[in-house]
Amino acid sequence: MPTLVDLLERVSFLAAMPATAGLLVTAGLLVVSRDWRLNVTALTVQYFFVVLLLTRLIRLEVAAVKGLTGWMICMVFYLTERRASVLEQSSDAEEKALARRWILSARASFCLLAGILVSVAAYTAALRIPLPEVPTDITLACYLLAGLGMLLLGLSESPMQVGLGLLTFLSGFDLFYVALEPSLAVAGLLGAVSFLIALATAYLRAVQIAAASEGRAL
Amino acid sequence: MIAGPLLLLILPLAVAGIVYILLRWTSIAGLLAMIAALALGFAVITLPLDQPVRFWGGRQIAMGEVVTFFGRELVLEPDDRVAMAFLFFTSAGIFFLAWRFVPHSLLHPMGLALLSLLSGALLIRPLIYAALLLEIAAALSVFALQSEDGPPSRGGLRYLTFTTLALPGLLVTHWLLERYALTPDETGLLGMSAALLALSFALLLGVVPFHTWVPAVTNDGVALAGTFVLTIGNGAVWFLLLDFLETYPWLSDHPRFATLTFSAGLAMVVVGGLLAPAQRRLGALVGYAALVDSGAALIALGMDSKLGLTLAFMSLLVRPLGLILVSAGLSGLRARNGGDDDIDTLRGLGRQAPWSTAALIFGGLSMAGLPVSAGFVWRWALCRALALSSPGSALLVLLASVGIIVGVWRGLAALLMHPRAPEDRSIIPLRSPEGWLTAAVVSVTIIACVGVGLFPQALTPLAVQLAEAYTFFTP
Repeated sequence: MPTLVDLLERVSFLAAMPATAGLLVTAGLLVVSRDWRLNVTALTVQYFFVVLLLTRLIRLEVAAVKGLTGWMICMVFYLTERRASVLEQSSDAEEKALARRWILSARASFCLLAGILVSVAAYTAALRIPLPEVPTDITLACYLLAGLGMLLLGLSESPMQVGLGLLTFLSGFDLFYVALEPSLAVAGLLGAVSFLIALATAYLRAVQIAAASEGRAL
Repeated sequence: MIAGPLLLLILPLAVAGIVYILLRWTSIAGLLAMIAALALGFAVITLPLDQPVRFWGGRQIAMGEVVTFFGRELVLEPDDRVAMAFLFFTSAGIFFLAWRFVPHSLLHPMGLALLSLLSGALLIRPLIYAALLLEIAAALSVFALQSEDGPPSRGGLRYLTFTTLALPGLLVTHWLLERYALTPDETGLLGMSAALLALSFALLLGVVPFHTWVPAVTNDGVALAGTFVLTIGNGAVWFLLLDFLETYPWLSDHPRFATLTFSAGLAMVVVGGLLAPAQRRLGALVGYAALVDSGAALIALGMDSKLGLTLAFMSLLVRPLGLILVSAGLSGLRARNGGDDDIDTLRGLGRQAPWSTAALIFGGLSMAGLPVSAGFVWRWALCRALALSSPGSALLVLLASVGIIVGVWRGLAALLMHPRAPEDRSIIPLRSPEGWLTAAVVSVTIIACVGVGLFPQALTPLAVQLAEAYTFFTP
């Protein structure tokens, strides 16, 4: 049976511009979508592309561990949102969904436009201000992730969206920083930071669900 | 033999675990957390660094021993002792009031865990790891800031966001400076490092326009946890900033250092002073008062002199007294008002909760820097020092204090009004429902606050000693 490292080696041909394009799509989806299923899937795929790019900068095993941390974070988000969706189903779901569709379309258009603007800015920055120690395509990936992550932070105050934004921003920084400081201790601490951010935002989401349920009960 | 630095990291974590298990018994948990913080504070101050001390069972503790932890050095230097003691004693004070005002919150166990992380941030070398530990501490503080039955804490999220945004600057600066050491001709690296450090510390200290997290942490959630962030967390950031200035003297020698720091502080004072009286909620008022205090401390640092540095340390030492009191009062009032601290809804509550009201008023006056309060001690000295070099700034600092007083006055007026409905008046008890223990705890803290205001010589030598440890302003 192939190991995770073997699997990563097999898809290493994607670890250049295709991975950067994949990151643009996944981070863009996170900015535009408010559907938790789509968001968790996008984050999972995003970590996959980040790991692919990381394999060019650090040892495959370390990149794989970073990927595992990311996928564990996705699992935390999945479990939290799944529980939230079960609790939210008890309310008048159909009416809400109809209303949300209209609200989403206006909001999603704005988010899409803002995402495109940030992506263009990231592309220009990658050409004009190249990051040291990393190739151009990874520079672009870093700028895209950091920029779209910050956009996510600015667009919403919902705990999950903020969490997704922080993790996307940190992924972009991590991609750059591993080239500067390949120390395992720093890699471990950055992994711990990401995991704690995920736990903190999931905790706040749980509080949000509990408060909403209590409000409905009253 | 037990190495002191390791003890300062592991013991709070271990006690945090025990306190979490005992959380159901609020008095035991609260007092255990307070005693642990006090004991560690006394250990840092009293145990000698140059020789091991024998404890019961023949165990020895060597406070000054250098510990290697995952390849990084943890060292307690003589200059760090007062800073560490400040963290532990302030935490003990917060735990003391939290025991009476928010006994069911996660503040006690999380506070101890945060103490361990922030101690690590001050002890670890190189400084790059301190940035990572600060970030982990920020993520943990979200749990402490969240109240039991309230909506999700926006303050915690914002604090976490701004700390995360500050992280890259601090980490990359370390790499830039290492590269500069290898290629000293590339002076552009220094400029880039200075810019990144300025941005990162602006985010961490809540400099305008990155200040939105400061009122947010006091506006919702557990007010005393907000105080923990604004005193202990902020204190650790201040000591880290000063460590950077001490390690890289070219930073304080930079021609724009004084102007930039002074202007940043002034902007905080003006924004805080203008927005404080306009707040409808007491929590936000406390946040803006803390912003003014932080800004005034930055102004002191921007004076680019030993006196300024001493005043900045004085502000760090006295800020907890006012902020702890005001947050305790806020917690007490929120608890009796369904979690709401809107000034309009607090009408008449002062009669039901006199001790919380007293804590809020004394703490608020100390945050404003009014005479006979702890805050006056350093604020007046700052105004006198500024009056000679920059009278306009001194006036702005005084006006900011007036802004805070106006806010506190509005709160006091609402609290002391008669309740609107006659049926509400009939339920006012003759005796305070807060209990004698709460009254005693608040009284002790108010006495400490006024005591420091009347006898500042108790703290001034400490501030001078701290300032002496840093040499970057020495001509």
